[in-house]
Amino acid sequence: MQDRIVQLLIRWLFVVVPTVVIGYVTLVYVNFSYTALNSSVLSQALFFSTGLLIAYSLYFFRIRWIITFLLLWFAYWLIGKIIVKLPGEFDVFYATARFQLYSALFIFGWIFGFLLVRVRYSYIILFGLLAVATMVAISNTIDISISYILFHLVPVIVYGLYMLFVSPVLVYDVEMDIKKSGRLLLRFSLFLLLVILAFLFVGKIFTEDLKAVEKELVARGAKSDKEGDKEKKDGGYDQRNGLMEKPNKDDGYKLKDTMKISSKMSQSDQLMFCSRIDNYFPDGTPQPLYFVYHYLTKYDQAQESFIRDANAPFLDEFDADPSEVGIFHSRQDSSIIKNSLGRKKRMIVESEVYLSSNTWKHALLAPASAFYVQSIPVEKDFQKTFLSAYKVKSYTSELNNAYYVYNPSANPALEDIQAERFNELRTVNNYDNVDSKLYKYYTDMPTGVIYDSISKLAKKISAGIVRPVDKVIAVQNFFLERDKKGKRIFRYTLKPGSPSDPNIPNTSMLSDFLFKTHAGYCTYYAGASLFLLRSMGIPARFTTGFATINRSDKNKGWYWFYASQAHAWTQVYFPGYGWMDFDMTIGNEDQQNAPRPDGTPPLPPPDPWLVLNAKAESAPDLNLKRLEVSFDNIIYFDRKYVLNKPVTRIIDVSMCRVLYDKKDTTLSALTEGDSVIVVSYKDEAKTIPKPRKGVSIESQVDAFPKPIVADEIHIKPKPKSEKKDPVKNDQQKAKEKEMTWKEILVLATEIILSAVVLIFLLPLLFLIYLVTRAAMARNPALKADGIYQSALYQFHMAGVERSTETPLDYARTKVDPVFHSNFQEFMTVYLRLKYGRGTLRDGDEEIINNFAKVAGSSVRKTKGFFRLALNYFNIVLASRYFLQSDKNEYEN
Amino acid sequence: MNESTHSASQSAKLITLSENIGKIIRGKPQEIKYVITALLAKGHILLEDNPGAGKTVLAKTLAQSISEGVADYHPSTGGGVAFKRIQFTPDLLPMDLIGSYIFDEEKKDFVFKKGPLFTHVLLADEINRASPKVQSALLECMAENQISAGDTTFQLDRFFFTIATQNPIEMEGTYPLPTAQLDRFYMKITFGYVTEEVELDIYNNYLTIGDVKATIHQVLTYNDIIALQQEAENVYVHPELVKSIVKLVQATRHHPEIALGCSTRGGITFIKCLKAWALVNQRDYVIEDDIRALAQPVLHHRLIFRNREASKVALLQIVDQEVNRLAKLGISTNK
Repeated sequence: MQDRIVQLLIRWLFVVVPTVVIGYVTLVYVNFSYTALNSSVLSQALFFSTGLLIAYSLYFFRIRWIITFLLLWFAYWLIGKIIVKLPGEFDVFYATARFQLYSALFIFGWIFGFLLVRVRYSYIILFGLLAVATMVAISNTIDISISYILFHLVPVIVYGLYMLFVSPVLVYDVEMDIKKSGRLLLRFSLFLLLVILAFLFVGKIFTEDLKAVEKELVARGAKSDKEGDKEKKDGGYDQRNGLMEKPNKDDGYKLKDTMKISSKMSQSDQLMFCSRIDNYFPDGTPQPLYFVYHYLTKYDQAQESFIRDANAPFLDEFDADPSEVGIFHSRQDSSIIKNSLGRKKRMIVESEVYLSSNTWKHALLAPASAFYVQSIPVEKDFQKTFLSAYKVKSYTSELNNAYYVYNPSANPALEDIQAERFNELRTVNNYDNVDSKLYKYYTDMPTGVIYDSISKLAKKISAGIVRPVDKVIAVQNFFLERDKKGKRIFRYTLKPGSPSDPNIPNTSMLSDFLFKTHAGYCTYYAGASLFLLRSMGIPARFTTGFATINRSDKNKGWYWFYASQAHAWTQVYFPGYGWMDFDMTIGNEDQQNAPRPDGTPPLPPPDPWLVLNAKAESAPDLNLKRLEVSFDNIIYFDRKYVLNKPVTRIIDVSMCRVLYDKKDTTLSALTEGDSVIVVSYKDEAKTIPKPRKGVSIESQVDAFPKPIVADEIHIKPKPKSEKKDPVKNDQQKAKEKEMTWKEILVLATEIILSAVVLIFLLPLLFLIYLVTRAAMARNPALKADGIYQSALYQFHMAGVERSTETPLDYARTKVDPVFHSNFQEFMTVYLRLKYGRGTLRDGDEEIINNFAKVAGSSVRKTKGFFRLALNYFNIVLASRYFLQSDKNEYEN
Repeated sequence: MNESTHSASQSAKLITLSENIGKIIRGKPQEIKYVITALLAKGHILLEDNPGAGKTVLAKTLAQSISEGVADYHPSTGGGVAFKRIQFTPDLLPMDLIGSYIFDEEKKDFVFKKGPLFTHVLLADEINRASPKVQSALLECMAENQISAGDTTFQLDRFFFTIATQNPIEMEGTYPLPTAQLDRFYMKITFGYVTEEVELDIYNNYLTIGDVKATIHQVLTYNDIIALQQEAENVYVHPELVKSIVKLVQATRHHPEIALGCSTRGGITFIKCLKAWALVNQRDYVIEDDIRALAQPVLHHRLIFRNREASKVALLQIVDQEVNRLAKLGISTNK
């Protein structure tokens, strides 16, 4: 019986545990595909594995199948009956649904367990079932990729292989002798090795896959149409704009962080955002500004791409994530003020930006150099179009204007202003007084034949011109030159044609553009002009963002930005005035001909009198519409205050909008402990305490109405939020789906590694267990027993194995001659205690204690500590101790 | 306390006995112990080997050590132990063993003339050379401790010990004992040849060894033996060991290579022998080593194996498994 239990335990480890794991993995997959299941995967797996374990153990001891299974059905029927009698209609529905699911899984597990014990080759059936389940799960997902399939099938295949390798020995062989156990362990180790190798292999493949996708994103255009077809399989990426990318599937588009000059660009006309720029000429004409995303100050010569450089001198890029700024809260960076070098004609421009759901919400898009951002709410009616909004303040020069750089076309007033502006800039004669670091960095030219030829061209263009601004205009004119027939030399095109192979030296898309094809899109013009300017000694930088186009006069100051307006241009530095936008890209007729209509601008955000940065002290009272919050950080009439100590107040939420991550939700989504921002707007109907001068904020807070009527409550999204918000739920699901393979890969590797470590540690752990047991024994007999067991194990692990001899013979013939211990003496006492009448004689305890003292040390002395320690990692040796001559079991 | 001193003195006698025999039978301490065990278990022993291995000498030496050389049978005498030897031949008749009715001239009546079976220690030499008829006559009195002659039944003394020897059954001119009859012997041991050194020693000291009577003197009296037999019965057998013997016996019945397993009588005999063996080894309790030591001599001749290979390993396998199970068993505190 004991042997059977040991064998059962071994089978648990080798058969049941892997089956449970694979069952769990499959359940995870199936749960992702069928949201109808939608209950905890863990408890599902628990039911499955419980069924499996019970059935396996029962049938291992040859208990009748039919009777037990009938009993199981009876239990199922009985519990079903009881559940129906539960109070409450609603509960019954859920309880029965869950019960059906769990019992189905339990019975599945049960049948699995039965099959595993009783049916030869049952693992083939199991493998088939699991594979089918996984396939069904895969087929239900929308985005199927090869790697996705691979990662879903890998666990099942691994399981199948494992069972093929290991289980036949365990499941069908009644006899388990030393030889077989050794072979089994060998098999098992080999198998583990194979699995680890396979995982590494697959992991390697996949990382390459990932990298490939990444490369594809950057060098999108460089792909031929054929490869384009393949990309479509990946799903979701085929609508990308050439200058834009999606950081991940759920987010909106953002501009790329690097710009590569590539052969093809596609554009789409999704609305990205709209903005009101509070910048007008004195006569009231709107003065648009380009929207900056990043300054790409560095150039990667090999890739022909422009990249960001956080170490660039005097970098005036505001690195803020507007989505992380709490509503009505603001963030600013004073270093921008320092680094935006223009002193003359400097102004601060305020603008509001409304991001559509297509846009990556983490990016800060702002005219010129933003230094302040404040998160503002979007009016409810516009929430379908715009997900979030923020207000920015930026520094720029009065001379900066989108009109000048793009197309001053045919507006005499504007042309006058432009002429004036150029005149103003002509006061800059040289860059003598410019910071040398700045000058060096922004006039840096790569070396090489191509760049030499660009320098030559620059010399030709700037011949005889002294002032920097004139040189800039000369470059602009160079791109606008016409040939003898009056035709433009340079063209605007999204498909500049097949590029030169960047691997062949001295060819580049840049030089092709300048000297051969004369066709390209903004990146080409910006890149080419950048190097032309730099080689003339004019500091310039590559800028990405959005071109601002004023299409109508209907909503003055409002501008609409579509994906096709994603743009790249150059900024030129003028000492005293700072960075000026210069767009050398020549007009694209097609685009100009089809201006997209502007939409209705969103209503201005209401003005709050109070914003509380609070914590929900309790879940909201849904009946009374009350919520208790505590806060110590408030914005009161646009001023920030920090209270001495937190104040707890009741909030009236009867008229309140509740938002979670900028999306509408209900009050029930709010739970105790949530961080919330409570907003109360200025409203005629409300009594609003006006701020009083010279009165402490604490006493002003005391004067707040009780309860405070809230208009909006923004629940701060938690980093790992629970399933509370139904809107959020789906997104999370989608995210999880993406994470699965990674998590499973990590998890599986962790499990395998820890299993390996555990297996190798088992012999040592067992020794510790035995020694502890011996030390803890209450009476001499038990103590002797503990010492006996641990001594047997220690001697075995020291390499002296007992085969078929009795322990006494073992002590006499094998142990004592080798270790010079008094094991035999101990054994005589021990055997008397074990089989005798149980009386302890004088001196017995002494012998026991003596032996206990000497046994361990004699082994160490004889064997040497290092070799002994090595032996304890020999699992084959250890396993022989447990499987020792468990052969010849003839009774069934 | 009383018991332990008692057993100590008795054990000392047993050591003297085996040492005494060991003087003649060189290099066979184990076999000597077996013989003494059979004696203490109130059983009989069968020695099997080729002629000249020393079977007869062993039997004679044992008898010598416990008898005073009394030729006649005195059931009532306390001190003397009678020893008789019968050489079995094909033409031996049962009456040659048990005796016969002879007409008494004086009494004018038939009186029973007791045969050699009326003794304490009987050496039945080459038992398989006699006809089955004779063999069964011997076996009856071994089993029943009584002799039936005509209409009278004679009770033998409660101390009746047979040492039978036989040649291996392959030898010519033998009547192999059927298994059912072998069952009557508590033990069957094979003698085997001695090692080179021992043999050299024997040859060197042939003259002194050969003279049994000169070397051997009595070390045990009749009463001693009865007392020792009593003591052997009192040896403690742990319940776990009894369970183990049951398993062992059961295993012989279910083993695929064994045609006829051990009978219940075999199991009882095994326990009796284990007790005696423990005593011979100076213990008042049985240990797993005893099972290992006695399984072969006590059980092997009771089993019928399906083939020659099995007869060598099957029993060993069963014993190994049992011993291993016992070795792993912890001490049970509730006895």
